[in-house]
Amino acid sequence: MRQGYIIIGFCIVLLVAAGIIVKASLSEEQALNYSEIIPMPGTNTLPIEEGVFKLSNNAEEFLDLVNRGVSSNQTLTSYYNRRAYPGAPPTIPHPTEEAHSMGGKDCLQCHQNGGYVDKYKAFAPVSPHTDYINCKQCHVPVKSTGLFKANNWYKMEAPEAKQQALLGSPPIIPHSLEMRNNCLSCHGGPSAPKEIRVTHPNRVNCRQCHALNDNAKNTTKIWTR
Amino acid sequence: MMNRRNFLKKAAAASAMAAAATMIPGILFASDQVDDNITGDINWTKGPCRFCGVGCGVLIGTQKGKAVAVKGDPNSSVNKGLLCVKGYHQIMCTSSADRLTKPLVKKNGKYVETSMEEALDLVASKMKETIEKHGKDSVAMYTSGQSTIPEGYVASKFMKGAIGTNNLDCNARLCMASAVTGFLTTFGADEPMGCYEDIEYANVFVLWGNNMAEMHPVLFSRMLDNRLTRKNVKIIDLATRTTRTSKAADKSILFKPQADLAIANAICYEIINNGWVNNSFVEKHIVFNKGKTNIGYGLEDKFKFKDKATPIDFEQYKTFLEGYRPDKVEAITGVSAKDIKYLASLYGDPNLKVVSYWCMGLNQHTRGTWMNNLVYNIHLLTGKISQPGNGPFSLTGQPSACGTAREVGTFTHKLPKGVVTNKKHRELAAKIWKVPYDRIPDKPTYHATEMFRAVDRGDIKFIWTQVTNPLVSLPKTGRYRPAMQKDSCFVVVSDVFPTPTSDVADVILPAAWHVEKSGMYGNSERRTQYWDKMVEAPGEAMPDAWMTIEIAKRMGYGDLFPYSKENHHEEIYNEYRQFHVGKKHNMAPVEVLKKQSGVIWPYIEETGKSTQWRFNSKYDPACDSTKEFDFYGKPNGKAVIWQRPYEPAPEVPDNEYPFWLNTGRVIEHWHTGSMTRRIPVLHQAVPNAYVEFHPDDAKQMGIRNKQKVKVISRRGTTVLPASINERGMPTKGQVFVPFFDESMLINDVTLDAFCPISKEPDYKKCAVRIEKV
Repeated sequence: MRQGYIIIGFCIVLLVAAGIIVKASLSEEQALNYSEIIPMPGTNTLPIEEGVFKLSNNAEEFLDLVNRGVSSNQTLTSYYNRRAYPGAPPTIPHPTEEAHSMGGKDCLQCHQNGGYVDKYKAFAPVSPHTDYINCKQCHVPVKSTGLFKANNWYKMEAPEAKQQALLGSPPIIPHSLEMRNNCLSCHGGPSAPKEIRVTHPNRVNCRQCHALNDNAKNTTKIWTR
Repeated sequence: MMNRRNFLKKAAAASAMAAAATMIPGILFASDQVDDNITGDINWTKGPCRFCGVGCGVLIGTQKGKAVAVKGDPNSSVNKGLLCVKGYHQIMCTSSADRLTKPLVKKNGKYVETSMEEALDLVASKMKETIEKHGKDSVAMYTSGQSTIPEGYVASKFMKGAIGTNNLDCNARLCMASAVTGFLTTFGADEPMGCYEDIEYANVFVLWGNNMAEMHPVLFSRMLDNRLTRKNVKIIDLATRTTRTSKAADKSILFKPQADLAIANAICYEIINNGWVNNSFVEKHIVFNKGKTNIGYGLEDKFKFKDKATPIDFEQYKTFLEGYRPDKVEAITGVSAKDIKYLASLYGDPNLKVVSYWCMGLNQHTRGTWMNNLVYNIHLLTGKISQPGNGPFSLTGQPSACGTAREVGTFTHKLPKGVVTNKKHRELAAKIWKVPYDRIPDKPTYHATEMFRAVDRGDIKFIWTQVTNPLVSLPKTGRYRPAMQKDSCFVVVSDVFPTPTSDVADVILPAAWHVEKSGMYGNSERRTQYWDKMVEAPGEAMPDAWMTIEIAKRMGYGDLFPYSKENHHEEIYNEYRQFHVGKKHNMAPVEVLKKQSGVIWPYIEETGKSTQWRFNSKYDPACDSTKEFDFYGKPNGKAVIWQRPYEPAPEVPDNEYPFWLNTGRVIEHWHTGSMTRRIPVLHQAVPNAYVEFHPDDAKQMGIRNKQKVKVISRRGTTVLPASINERGMPTKGQVFVPFFDESMLINDVTLDAFCPISKEPDYKKCAVRIEKV
């Protein structure tokens, strides 16, 4: 009799576990499945909205980090130093062992979910677009600091979130969201540069309050003071 | 339709305005006012990327007259908002400190700055004087698959229509010529039948000698994305070197150099032997031909070859293939019969959609035309062609190799429509160009390699290069550099930056870069893309098309070039469009190109749509609608299966030179590096070239990583650091060198053998030995 209960109990545990696994794998598949958004003529085929809720599972932990005053060793200066212009793909600041790998798991093992890397005494920044696995298509190492020829590149100023409709109203997003639609990957969590880390990562639905200033096609011009 | 983004934006703006208006009555707020001081407020303009033949749509951000940022154009169906590292950083080359901004004229061995007027006067008078003294065929122009459509068109009109010489060829000869002759011999019409959307339908991608992860990264990412999101998608990498692509592929098959000829035939043998032939397709749409064999390698000056097609039947073709039973060719290919049978089973399975991709591996090949034919054979036997997800797809290397070099026809034998040897084609060109019909010569003269041989021999006494850097990119530069330095030839180089080619010029003309001029490019999938000038060119730098026009005017051909300086690109395009009127190659009007992120020709006037799959009557109105497929490039509407054998490479490793040398690119650098090396991010990622070894070979020779070694051939020597277990790994007995580095010129070492049909050199195979420095 008792054995029977144990078996039944065991079966229930198995079922629940299976259910959780299936659910998790389904949601993972959905997260990766951006191509289901049907391209419509005249609309964006890159799913700019899609990443908004990513990392939201961690939002409470991120808030905890803010509350406890845990700070990243990454500053906004170092953040922009790795980019040729604000919005450019950052270079890889550390040696990579697998030169013949395009990226994928080799990169994502740290940059998908982040975490503390003892070797570099730093938190790994989280990629806002982990669906793209040919990482080195855009992110390249720095093998030399020299130049082939001197260059007078004009690096535009970094965008500032100073544009507000009213005093105290939520600032408008000052940069475009292509390839950067997962807000919390830069603005929340332990790897986020202090200067741009939000005080309220737990609100999750960022774009409920923060609208986008992105005059990408010179069409819609938004109101400014 | 208002999407959520627009909605949010508009809602934010509207509510803010309403709120402000109530707070400060009496003050009106302009709804479209934009504050220049707001950082991040950038003007974005669409265009195609400057670099490869994929032709990604980019948005260039400008601020205060400067190009400051780049992002992928989400409206472009090519790349859907994604770019590669070259694309993202392309504009950074324009601010290079050594930009050419003034013409430089060599006087007593020194370059002297002059005005553009003076330099153009000098070039025109030199060209005129040379023609008067030595005849029309003593002057030549060498242009590019990176020239815009208007640039290529005026070059052709100037040389063939105005001067009356066929001495015009371009660097696309070095990368795409075998693809062209492959298309023409099999289908009678150039350029792929399918489009990139095939990626969303195919189950199997077979990459023939094509490191797509680095060379066509955006398309590769599209493939990877499909593999993630759809079931039953496989990538097979067929190569002579293990690359990022091999690592990412589901299966990597390594073969011996030149053995692709035998592999393709062995696949066809298996398809027939297993009854996987699509018989009704073959009966209705195919004829069989054989061509000449033992066709040579073009190593000697003034080499001539003309192929001859002899009809054969299916049975004769089957008998020929008996020699290519997979186990029989194992010794040639180095590939197990099992792997070949596996490949054949993928092509043969009627339930799998298969796309074959290739680029330089098949094209830069002394049997390049044959290799292109052989891949078509596989798709034609199985009927897997001209349908969504099924088809052979020849990728291009340069951004307008298709749009300019192939469609406008900046080759010695070509005209904007057809070839110089065809009377009707010459008549059409003469009519549109408004020149006497007999001015256009009916015989081709020099293809790229032979053109520089003619410079060396002293036959060409004036050469003008535009948008290209032949003294890094030609094979066997050890011969052609001294050739161009000879006093017998006056050299004019138009470029944006100083290069090893401009180093030997008598006159250097400063050119406007990509977004400093307006133009059109045509990519691999027959997509024509327009862009507007976005920033001013520095100093006296000028669009290449306008330089050609200025020279033409100075030589007395002004009436043939009645274009305006401001809008010449559009006027030229409108004239050019007349060549392609008709269902088979109709080009979209410029107004349409301005609105859209590119249009695939044939453009259907009635519907305003692109034709995505040619030769299939379901998608292509140019087909005979009573047939399912119509290969209308051939008079009988039938495609050709060519009997092409395996023949060895001209120079194979021996005791003295025991290694194969393979050359190519890396993702960070574009061709000869004149642009990408000036982009700090890219230069710092790959600061110099290197020679890759198989680790066993390196160990045996006692060569360590980064150790400097000499790569020596019968032509020349280059010193490079060794690279072991880094970016790529060649098969044993082979070394690989990227060719972008002008300080380590690997093309001093390469061989100038070419495909006798296409005249495209083989940069992938010659014999070298290695010595420690």
